Amino acid sequence: MRVLFFAQLQDATGCPNTELAVAEPLTLEQLWLILLEIFPELHAYRPNVRLACNWEYAGPETFFSDEDEVALIPPVSGG
Amino acid sequence: MEIEIQLTDSLIPAKIAPPAGGHTGAWLEFSGIVRGQENSELISGLEYEAYQEMAEREIRRLLESLAQKHPCLSARVIHRYGVIPVGETAIYVGVAGRHRQEAIALLAEFMDRLKQDVPIWKRRAMPIAAPISPRHETPPFAPVPPSAKLPTVSLDEAVAHIQSACQPLPNIRVSLPLALGQTLRETVYATENFPARDLSTRDGYAILVSDSPATFQIVDTIHAADWKPRSLQPGQAVRVATGATLPGPNLRVIMQEDVERQGDTITVLKDDGAANVRLCGEEIKVGQPILESGLRLDGGKLALLATAGCTQPLVSPRLNVIHFTTGDELVSPERVPGPGQIRDSNSILIRGLLQPFVNELEQAHLPENFEAAWARLDLSRIEAADLLLISGGSSVGDLDFTRPLLERLGFRIIFAKVNVRPGKPLIFGVNGTRVAFGLPGNPLAHFVCLNFAVATAIACLRGETPPTFLRGPLATALADDPCPRETLWPGRVLRTTESTQLQPLPWASSGDMTCLALANALLRIPANTTALEAGAEVEYLPALGRLES
Repeated sequence: MRVLFFAQLQDATGCPNTELAVAEPLTLEQLWLILLEIFPELHAYRPNVRLACNWEYAGPETFFSDEDEVALIPPVSGG
Repeated sequence: MEIEIQLTDSLIPAKIAPPAGGHTGAWLEFSGIVRGQENSELISGLEYEAYQEMAEREIRRLLESLAQKHPCLSARVIHRYGVIPVGETAIYVGVAGRHRQEAIALLAEFMDRLKQDVPIWKRRAMPIAAPISPRHETPPFAPVPPSAKLPTVSLDEAVAHIQSACQPLPNIRVSLPLALGQTLRETVYATENFPARDLSTRDGYAILVSDSPATFQIVDTIHAADWKPRSLQPGQAVRVATGATLPGPNLRVIMQEDVERQGDTITVLKDDGAANVRLCGEEIKVGQPILESGLRLDGGKLALLATAGCTQPLVSPRLNVIHFTTGDELVSPERVPGPGQIRDSNSILIRGLLQPFVNELEQAHLPENFEAAWARLDLSRIEAADLLLISGGSSVGDLDFTRPLLERLGFRIIFAKVNVRPGKPLIFGVNGTRVAFGLPGNPLAHFVCLNFAVATAIACLRGETPPTFLRGPLATALADDPCPRETLWPGRVLRTTESTQLQPLPWASSGDMTCLALANALLRIPANTTALEAGAEVEYLPALGRLES
């Protein structure tokens, strides 16, 4: 699974992306637990970060599997 | 509704044509422009980041859902990313509708929703260099009355006057390219570890430090730019390239030459126990001083600052200098001098010697007439200058006017004659924190005055150590007609690994040019000297930028 970090999350983790090996599809909650274990820096951001799976915002029903592209989306500020 | 979406890192064209066809009754265009202020700070631009694939999909999704509510004919959206300078367009939206109401409604709602859901970020504001507050407080143009007759000062007195009159100007922060050759004015401490994480120094296989060499299962491959954190289990290995970031701490790397690989397993043939790892913070630890204040910044030191992310080091200020030549006999070097004329060599001499210390050097020629020269002066430029130099016009001939000109500009004249050869008619004036020199026009006298007087002023204004006389033996004998003044004799410092010797250069007059190309020092010859033996010890002053320390 490819995980992308954007904007200030890049500064927090120190990298634009990382690869995770995922054996079974994960729920949103399970994925967060793994991410926070590797990047404890993300704790502070979590309340305002949305997850996207394959270029769509994820919801509670989303499952994340090994071949997905996952992105952590902090509050946006385009325009 | 027809939809066209573009994410681009280049300029968005100012005018975009409305869609063709006869259905459009309203063509509405909106450009969002980068303003010169962000969070009440002046900026020069904004950097945007976009998650491109998703941003495009989100914009399309948004437009499609809004089209249900506000049926329009077409919409075109261009969003720029990367660094966008102030005044340029960050987002362009064009909406075509049959009537204006639905086009206006769609545009307004689209812009609101864009700012909630489309994964594009203002990443950082590019700060504008803070406007430089005027360095000099006193207004320059309160004329001072001509000073009474000033005594001729000695060389040492002249230098002492200059040192006490020239107060250091504030240090400045500059970008790395501008810091080249400047003196660092703060000790720089590391804010990050370097390396930031453990790195492999070999092409090989990372394993746990605690693991014993045997057979390992390869569970991942890491290239130089990858970051793939994971915890390794005993018996697991990760293929790593030289320079690659290891997936975690407490690992070491077995060189690929020392293993035999079969499919996804390796067998270690030889293990010398070496870690083959550059540890996090091994070279630079957070909080460690990496460069001390007072160092001159060369390419290597700048590279270290770049690595540490220190991109605006505090350095000595460079000076704003205005230089006027005077004398109707001067023609520019491109021209063939007529009878009575000479080419101007002083302008390029000053530029050549002062270049490393100068922010701006403005050079111009003044007519040899007080009122005409005064009328030519741009007083606001002189007000901003730290150092004013006037070449020629400093002796007491009828046409000389440097001293009255400086007094009219509010400079109090400290001395106007120095008991030195060449360069006796040297004028030094002070106006608050600004200083001015009137330099004798002869090129050799120019060279001498620049190196002992102007160089001292420049060093003091920049808060650096002024040049000092050193001592060394003459390489050859020196013969002279006795002169009642001290002489600053153009010379050449000859250095070998064993010794330093001083070669006096032949010079016929203060207009002698040939020795300027060779001189890298001034030899201080006492008054009334007729002869000095080879090996006699004299004082010497290294010339500006001519002698590497």
